[in-house]
Amino acid sequence: MAGPLWPRTRRGATDEALIRSVYEEHGHALLAYATRLTGDRATAEDVVQETLIRAWRHAEVLVNGKGSVRGWLLTVARNIITDRYRAKAARPQEVSGAAAAPPVEVDHADSVVDTMTVLGALDQLSPEHRDVLKELYYRQLSVAEAADSLGIPAGTVKSRSHYALKALREVFRQNGGAGKGRRHRSGRPPQQPAGLREVVA
Amino acid sequence: MNRQRHEHEEELLGPYVLGVLDAEDVRRVEEHVGGCLRCREEVAALREMEAALGEVPAEAFLDGPPVGGDLLLQRTLRRVRGEAAAARRRRWGLAGLAAAASLAAVFWTGARVGGGGEPVAAPPPDPSPAVTAAPSPPPAGTRVASATDPGTGARMTVKVTPAAKWVRVHAAVTGVPPGERCRLVVVSRDGKRSTAGSWVVGGQAQAGGQGGAAGGEAKGAALDGSAWVDPADVREVLVENESGRTFVSVPVPAAV
Repeated sequence: MAGPLWPRTRRGATDEALIRSVYEEHGHALLAYATRLTGDRATAEDVVQETLIRAWRHAEVLVNGKGSVRGWLLTVARNIITDRYRAKAARPQEVSGAAAAPPVEVDHADSVVDTMTVLGALDQLSPEHRDVLKELYYRQLSVAEAADSLGIPAGTVKSRSHYALKALREVFRQNGGAGKGRRHRSGRPPQQPAGLREVVA
Repeated sequence: MNRQRHEHEEELLGPYVLGVLDAEDVRRVEEHVGGCLRCREEVAALREMEAALGEVPAEAFLDGPPVGGDLLLQRTLRRVRGEAAAARRRRWGLAGLAAAASLAAVFWTGARVGGGGEPVAAPPPDPSPAVTAAPSPPPAGTRVASATDPGTGARMTVKVTPAAKWVRVHAAVTGVPPGERCRLVVVSRDGKRSTAGSWVVGGQAQAGGQGGAAGGEAKGAALDGSAWVDPADVREVLVENESGRTFVSVPVPAAV
């Protein structure tokens, strides 16, 4: 799950191995996400390249769990896209011409942490719980389809999804303590591995 | 309340807030929740979890490398090599660029402003043997490098193809503000600068072709040029405007 520990010195083969491993593990998710947000594959590839470079520069974040690392990468990609949109909006002559809506919500300060937090929490669920949420929520399958895909009865899909949500809440509860000092909705205390937030922000 | 029944209904609360129950189950849950305070609280708590899931994009669950992403990986690796090399050069104190004006622009083979549907950021053909899709191998010594200037946001991917004592240069440039009159400059190892061509960055009038590009930055340009710099002497390729401001500079790795 967790990436290997990379030495802080960045030289030659280590650099390339690091980029490659991030690309091999997270490239599909990153490119698909960036492509949806930008609506353009070439632009998305630029964004992914920039994201990989930032991961390389901040290799210390890659020692966290897979979910947190992916959350970090997706957040960085989204921020790059948001910042590019902002840069464009800041140029007056283009504001009048292109009335394009921002591709993503502009205020990413808070949701940034949440993507990492939630992915990190999902990582701590059992595979059964994670899978049932993945099928029902993210793949938007029906109960019957999820039952088929997971090879379990429909009734089990329903009850398992219930306990998966409860388990998720338990993870938040354990990791986050009281969640003091952050503007979080109750029951969703923050939880992110050290070092991730500063880099993203 | 029948305890067994309560537990059965309670197990439906999760799928209820996930919105995957059929109408009959929904009716049963709502009927039960209406008279059960504990379950109402449970629903509220589970809804927060459902909202939390919404912070994660569905793409987060795709694993593995992207389909058809070899060029992307190669470009990224080249940039890492380039930046590592640039960092080494900076350490050696060789970064200063000679101020000598460029001596000549030769064989400008047509600057075309990348318009229409063509993705302006498309990298030049890849010389790496790792990419098997390339129709024919590029001439030996062809180098591709790429860089983004963190200050200006301009980005260039450049391909340098060796000829006899001179080079062909193919560059894809994005992120330079519209209207800038730019030069593509080849810098040799002794600091001599040769202009490989010049162009004016397209404005928004043509920007419609860049469908949905969230970057939304100035028009990109795909450029072909050449310079009488010995292929072995090429140190970097940069884009500057008429007043000498550098938008992006790409270190070119030594030929292998």
